[in-house]
Amino acid sequence: MSGPTTSTGAYVRIGFQDGPAAAAGIARLGRHAKPLTDALAASADPDAALAALLRIVDALDALDEQDDGTGHAMLAEVADDEGTAMRLCSVLGASAALATHLCRHPDQWRELTDPTLGSTRPPAFSVRGLLLEAVGADPTAEAPVATKPDAEALDALRVEYRRILLRLASRDLAHHLGIDDAAAEISDLAAGTLEAALAVARARVGDPAGLARLAVIAMGKCGGHELNYVSDVDVVFVFEPALLESGEKADESAALRAATQLASHLMRVCSDQTREGTIWPVDANLRPEGARGPLVRTLASHRGYYEKWAKTWEFQALLKARPVAGDLALGQAYVEAIEPMVWSAAERDGFVTDVQAMRRRVIDHIPAHQAGRQIKLGSGGLRDVEFAVQLLQLVHGRADPTLREGATLSALAQLTSGGYVGREDGEKLREAYAFLRTLEHRVQLHQLRRTHVLPEDDASLRRLGRSLGHFSEPVEQLDKQWRYHRREVRRLHEKIFYRPLLGAVAKLPGSGARLSLEAAGARLAALGYGDPQAALRHLEALTSGVSRTSDIQRTLLPVLLEWFADAPDPDAGLFGFRRISESLGRSPWYLTMLRDEGEVAQRLALVLGTSRYATDLLEREPQGVKMLGESLVPLSAEVVLAEMQSLVERQETAETAVAAVRAVRRRELLRLACGELVAGTDVAVVGQGLSRLTDATLQATLDIACESLRVQRGLEAVPTRLAVIAMGRYGGFELSYGSDADVMFVHDPVKGAEAQVAASFAQAVIGELRRLLSLPASDPPLEVDADLRPEGKNGPMVRTLESYAAYYAKWSHVWEFQALLRADPVVGDEALRARFTALIDPLRFPEGGLSDSDVVEVRRIKARVDQERLPRGADRHTHLKLGRGGLADVEWTVQLLQMRHAGRVPELRTPQTLPALEAAAAAGLIARLDAEKLAEAWRLVSRMRNAVTLVRGKPSDQVPRDARDRLAVARVLGYPEGASDEMVNDYLRTTRRAHAVVERVFWE
Amino acid sequence: MGKQEDFVLRALEERDVRFVRLWFTDVLGFLKSVSVAPAELENAFDEGIGFDGSAIQGFARVYESDMLAHPDASTFQILPWRGGSDGPATARMFCDIVMPDGSPSYADPRHVLKRTLSKAAERGFTFYTHPEIEFYLFKNVPGKGDEPQPVDRSGYFDHTAQSRGSDFRREAITMLEAMGISVEFSHHEGGPGQQEIDLRYADALTTADNVMTFRTVVREVALGQDIWASFMPKPFTTHPGSGMHTHVSLFEGDRNAFFEAGAEYQLSRTGRSFIAGVLRYAAEISVVTNQWVNSYKRLLGGGEAPSYICWGHNNRSAMVRVPMYKPNKGQSTRIELRTIDAACNPYLAFAVTLAAGMKGIEESYELPGEAEDDVWTLTERERRSLGIQPLPKSLSEAIDVAESSELLAETLGEHVFDFFLRNKRSEWEEYRTQVSAFERDRMLPIL
Repeated sequence: MSGPTTSTGAYVRIGFQDGPAAAAGIARLGRHAKPLTDALAASADPDAALAALLRIVDALDALDEQDDGTGHAMLAEVADDEGTAMRLCSVLGASAALATHLCRHPDQWRELTDPTLGSTRPPAFSVRGLLLEAVGADPTAEAPVATKPDAEALDALRVEYRRILLRLASRDLAHHLGIDDAAAEISDLAAGTLEAALAVARARVGDPAGLARLAVIAMGKCGGHELNYVSDVDVVFVFEPALLESGEKADESAALRAATQLASHLMRVCSDQTREGTIWPVDANLRPEGARGPLVRTLASHRGYYEKWAKTWEFQALLKARPVAGDLALGQAYVEAIEPMVWSAAERDGFVTDVQAMRRRVIDHIPAHQAGRQIKLGSGGLRDVEFAVQLLQLVHGRADPTLREGATLSALAQLTSGGYVGREDGEKLREAYAFLRTLEHRVQLHQLRRTHVLPEDDASLRRLGRSLGHFSEPVEQLDKQWRYHRREVRRLHEKIFYRPLLGAVAKLPGSGARLSLEAAGARLAALGYGDPQAALRHLEALTSGVSRTSDIQRTLLPVLLEWFADAPDPDAGLFGFRRISESLGRSPWYLTMLRDEGEVAQRLALVLGTSRYATDLLEREPQGVKMLGESLVPLSAEVVLAEMQSLVERQETAETAVAAVRAVRRRELLRLACGELVAGTDVAVVGQGLSRLTDATLQATLDIACESLRVQRGLEAVPTRLAVIAMGRYGGFELSYGSDADVMFVHDPVKGAEAQVAASFAQAVIGELRRLLSLPASDPPLEVDADLRPEGKNGPMVRTLESYAAYYAKWSHVWEFQALLRADPVVGDEALRARFTALIDPLRFPEGGLSDSDVVEVRRIKARVDQERLPRGADRHTHLKLGRGGLADVEWTVQLLQMRHAGRVPELRTPQTLPALEAAAAAGLIARLDAEKLAEAWRLVSRMRNAVTLVRGKPSDQVPRDARDRLAVARVLGYPEGASDEMVNDYLRTTRRAHAVVERVFWE
Repeated sequence: MGKQEDFVLRALEERDVRFVRLWFTDVLGFLKSVSVAPAELENAFDEGIGFDGSAIQGFARVYESDMLAHPDASTFQILPWRGGSDGPATARMFCDIVMPDGSPSYADPRHVLKRTLSKAAERGFTFYTHPEIEFYLFKNVPGKGDEPQPVDRSGYFDHTAQSRGSDFRREAITMLEAMGISVEFSHHEGGPGQQEIDLRYADALTTADNVMTFRTVVREVALGQDIWASFMPKPFTTHPGSGMHTHVSLFEGDRNAFFEAGAEYQLSRTGRSFIAGVLRYAAEISVVTNQWVNSYKRLLGGGEAPSYICWGHNNRSAMVRVPMYKPNKGQSTRIELRTIDAACNPYLAFAVTLAAGMKGIEESYELPGEAEDDVWTLTERERRSLGIQPLPKSLSEAIDVAESSELLAETLGEHVFDFFLRNKRSEWEEYRTQVSAFERDRMLPIL
């Protein structure tokens, strides 16, 4: 054995995995080792390529028993010609299936010696001719008929198909064919194969074949001239009765029979498994009525169907229809008849929703374990690009015939040059699509299997990476590139519909053509905007001009438009965004932040498109947008109060000081609202947050009022201490967005102060506090409601502690004590607050519980409240506060338990509903299951109440009646689309169960 | 639009249909109909036909009255009694009711059944029913206070020459068959003028649609012959009432889930649990299976109508009967539920029956012992010692039991549950205050 010897390590360095095997194998190549080793090392899988090469040598030797020099002669010839070596090794390294084919037909290696392979694309007619000749048919005949015996013809067709495929693959792998060229050549090969299969079918059917003219229309990728290496070939068959020699037309039903036979034989010729394997399945299910419809139809029948019954996706499929085999004149007539219908499909009602729904369904249906490795389906896959391109073709192709291209890449090029897709986007999308298709081709080429999933094992990934030219770190590089392109597709997919909309209303620098206003309106309507004209006006206002601001807006809006479209009210979202953008004007941080922090922009879009309440807050104070980038967890009362107080110190007048306090409150309201909308803050936390915020606001304002009055009255020190008692839902730490703050005021003159002076001072401070809080301003007013005070509206606004004590000693109505259950002194002088609590505790938590007559009294009042307080026309079942199983039901039940038992059970002594309920269950006063039902209802109703306020912008105590509001509320509560009646059903069920508990626990 | 819709649109042209009636059913089981011109139908398939839901019994809370009826193309049928064989025709389709945002309405009885069926489907079951519908034929349209006049004086299986009843049955069956509803069996029933027609078994949604169609067809045919047909559960004190004995079975794919070769009565564990579920919830669902004041007079009447919650094999007094097994007919293993009456809302009645049976399967209820004797002949004490409970004795009792039934609420949906019980409660209140002929006959002469 002669030839260069190399260490096994050296083989590993040049790309072999198995050094010893490589050394042994290469040794067998003998004197041709050197040039061949270089070619092998440049292939996708050198080890496999070498092994295959040796097998071919063996096969050649076996071919001729006398002479075993055939194999080495081949090696010599290959080694001598660098081009052939490169072609042969690259095929053997990339495709195990073609290597096997070569071992079966070893003499076909000569195909790869053809020097024109590197430069010349075989014309379609010659491919067709070769395939027809393989089955013994005359390519020049009008209707070629196979003459070889059937089985032989089938095998010959398969061998010839692979021979041409082998040539094609070598061009693709060794000469870096563009993906569009490779796909087009594969389509030509498929067309020729269909023609040859038809020739075989004619031979099988015999004379009756002449009764029908049959045309094969390719649909899908074959039709679009962009077929994969391995794929089903989608076709539709058209037939017409043939003109017989007698000059008459053949009988239609006889022709139908003949055409059906021809078509079904044709399909079987391609798909049957023979000694030489199979070619590919022919799929005729895109035909009218799908698998249930007749296999062949006349032109008139096709037209009738598409005029009347066809669905959107069928037109999408027809975009790519192209006659490829059989009677081409008939095929052309078919395409001409169908084309106008395709291009008017976009006018049909529900067209775009159909297509988008189809897309969503495709994404939803991928098995989860494959979703991450799908090249075709999945987010960022080929299908995304194809759908986007086809959708835009259908939307705009009617008005613009230049868009009527079959192939995805050509269509994309036309869309780009027509301005329907941004120039840069179009280019990037083309790159990504070409990469993904090439990758898909290489995956399929290996085993010639129809797969769209990237393999997971390192060996396959290495082979794929190397076949794409990554010789160092092939696996990592491939992964990186794949991720990059998928991300690009995802990113572009979002913008591709939206970005050109801006071009319609603003001159985009550097862009070519513009989308017309009509086209932009049609597109917006299709995307869910109710008023496209208004939306276009907003877009124009936002993007016109040449300032930096409008520059940034133009990059932002495409994404925002999609996020708005996903929210319950896209129009409101866009309009709100315009107003906020206008008032923030040129604030340097605003647009930069939206641009650089994607999360902020997405949150903003969601908030604006969902909540009128939050939109109002943002409009009053656009600076609030900043907060969307921060944590949305409610701040503690201390932090808020400290901030308010430090702001107050810097203010000159009481009015400006309170304005500063209220600005903090407004900002924190927004934080709470956004937290609930975006992050789903728990309803109890929202209630606490709102209550604490009110504490801080009242405390800061009380300080301001005290100080202001002291100065006004020229006093050295304040003559009395003041405290604010939170009552009702405020006392229970359960405020919702729209609630008033129920309070009572108490004061306690300092030692030595005159009672009269102290009372007048306290009165004035409270008056000032209320005035300051209700001054017209740009924040939602904080209504301070003191109607729960002793004697109600007729009583003095503020009393001394002694006066409260005297009142309660004298007028001990059980309902007043019930109101005190939720009294919580939260603001003002701490000692005074403690003394107030000490005063009321024995009243509201009576040691011996309630007398029977008091229990009856509480029930009687509840019955009257149920009857009288419900507003006229309200529905008892869906009234959040007073309805069946609503807040009042639950709270009264808990309060009655508290009054009866808190004397003995100290844990019950809390103003808050849920903790009291928990304590009652722990003490065995209510069954655990019942307590859970009440708590569940209370939470749901409270959440619903908050959601209603957020959506409508104003409080309401009714489950929304308006369909749009109800939809938005359902979305805020986390229901999927189309489930708003389910939400109502859940609401009714939960409250019914709670009501049943109330019936037992409260009333019995 | 799917193929079904395409088929309908084509049929409209081929059959020269001038009107399409869109049918749906209110909560109490009355058929509602709205006619549209064929030109409107394509739109109806896409978007539905809007109507004021608040005007329909039990459909809408007043303020959300906008509802849409979506025709179900698979239920398309030409109405044989409208238009001749060659003239322009009228067709009907059943509808699903949806809210303006496209979500299915919880008030729609058809949706109640569909929801229950799909819950069973999640566990792999399809529900089949086969109703035997009884009704009376009267000579005259009943006037207020009139004693109804039955068309004949015959009895069970009687064959009477030239009887109006058999003419009637022939025409009704022809018409039903023309609408694609197969009839299995028909004969004269026990009461004078009383008829029974059995529909072929089919999946529960189809059967429920068929029952609605059946009642309409029977009334139409009767009117055409100048007689009156009624499904009132118990029109006569002395004659038997009209029930709708319903044979039910569950299938798992192609296999009858009630069948098990070699088991007692060839009844599988699934079948036994199903019966156990139906028995356990019989009282709770009674208000739906027997929804009228008058329904309970049938149940108390004895004979074929059950008053007690029990099951038996070939025991015609049991509430649930396991019919005799026919060799080599594993696929037809089924149980017969004898409470349901012909005046029920079939969608709701099938839904609650299925829900009760499924509950039995899910919780693997044990089937109590079989009742072998005629439960009517047992003494109260004997029944108690056998653990045989009575069914509710009146609508009022049935409502009381139903009000705390989670099964009923969950199956009907909150809206239907609430409306239904409120409506029944007021029916009872109204009935309670009536002074009846019975009281007057008894008391006026002597008190």
